[in-house]
Amino acid sequence: MWPFDAVDWLMLLVPIAYLFILVGSLYTFSSIYRKRTAAKAASLEPWFPQHTQRNIYLSLLHMESPKCPDSILKAALLRRASEDITRIMAIRNAKQALQALLQKGSVGDDLWQRFQRAEKEIEEELRDVVSEANAFVPNWGQTIFQSASEMLQNSQIRERVNDILATSDAEKEWWEKRRAEIKTDFMRELDEEKAGIRSPTTDGSVTGSMAGSVAGSVAGSVAGSVGDDAVFVEGGGPAEKSSKKKRRAKH
Amino acid sequence: MESPDTFTLLPLEMDPSTKAVTATHSNSALDSELAALNSLHRNLLAAGTHTGTPPPPVPVNPTRSAQISKLRESGNNEFRKGHHSQAVKLYTLAIDMALGRPSWEPSGLVREEVSGLLSNRAQANMAQQNWAEGAVDAEASVEMKKVANAKGWWRRGKCLLEMGRLEEAENWVKQGLEFEATEQDLVQLKAEIEKKKGV
Repeated sequence: MWPFDAVDWLMLLVPIAYLFILVGSLYTFSSIYRKRTAAKAASLEPWFPQHTQRNIYLSLLHMESPKCPDSILKAALLRRASEDITRIMAIRNAKQALQALLQKGSVGDDLWQRFQRAEKEIEEELRDVVSEANAFVPNWGQTIFQSASEMLQNSQIRERVNDILATSDAEKEWWEKRRAEIKTDFMRELDEEKAGIRSPTTDGSVTGSMAGSVAGSVAGSVAGSVGDDAVFVEGGGPAEKSSKKKRRAKH
Repeated sequence: MESPDTFTLLPLEMDPSTKAVTATHSNSALDSELAALNSLHRNLLAAGTHTGTPPPPVPVNPTRSAQISKLRESGNNEFRKGHHSQAVKLYTLAIDMALGRPSWEPSGLVREEVSGLLSNRAQANMAQQNWAEGAVDAEASVEMKKVANAKGWWRRGKCLLEMGRLEEAENWVKQGLEFEATEQDLVQLKAEIEKKKGV
């Protein structure tokens, strides 16, 4: 029989207590640490704003009376998929830049954590959309993102075209005004010449420069209304020009 | 975004007869989203596929393409006959039809069609000396398709030049030459602008 009375229980308690305290303190530390980091991660601002399309889809799905018809749910799911595509594009575009910044130490660890969380969430979200789509129609999950990405691009190009075409009226107005201005300037100059205010030599230089900047642009329109063609500005000396103009102004 | 297993319940309701979804508490962002949803829903119903989902992007429904190319052809004919304003009207119809394609159809196709039509409309406008409209159309055409669209680049450059906006015209043509460096017309136009500026 093992001699129990030979063991010094008191002295044995010391290493046991040591082990107990060590393991206990490590455990408390790790649990507190994990709780804190979890709380911190949860309190971090989310990368993306609220996912309205997802909320709409799920709200419609949970609608009780009347039940939401499938066709609306499918449309809502498509909207949700398009929004997911903008998000995943944003994530992919940001990733490289963010990694580089993180390595240089230009951005904090917080930002990186927020980013990683967003990445995980969006992956989860994509899987969810695919499984929902497959639940509606078998194999729809394979094409839903294709359709959604076309929808997104289509809406973008329509927006851009409409933006550009919307400037048409303003441009037209500007041009009408400008044309009228040029026309009156032109007529006034002709009148002044007719009255003989300018000497033939200065006249030549002035009409020359004006012709350069303006005649080309308004030649057609002004010529149409004045009744002569505008070729005169290109050839001939000052004297010839002024005589021609005088003749023309009499019309 | 919320965590994967929660969501915010939105105050939505549906009109049982029209099937339109509305929010009980109005809020502009939500309202515009719901308007987009309702219009998508109508389009999906109009598409009438048996599964109620949009068909895959290819192949494209050929009816609309045929209508568009028919309108473009008649526009071209009117242009050749010299009826420029009539041509503009036909091109406008064709553009509206091309932009009215269901949104899940390939966007590349829409770009291609709209760019060509806008470029043609710019030409018809230029033939009537509507430089301002021509410039805007050509700009939109280039926005849709930057590469292999030398005509679009040239037309806006020409319109700007005609309006006497030399600075803009020069920048525009320079930009165009980055895409179409070998295009003879653009090079000529650039020389023309520089000559005008030099005077």
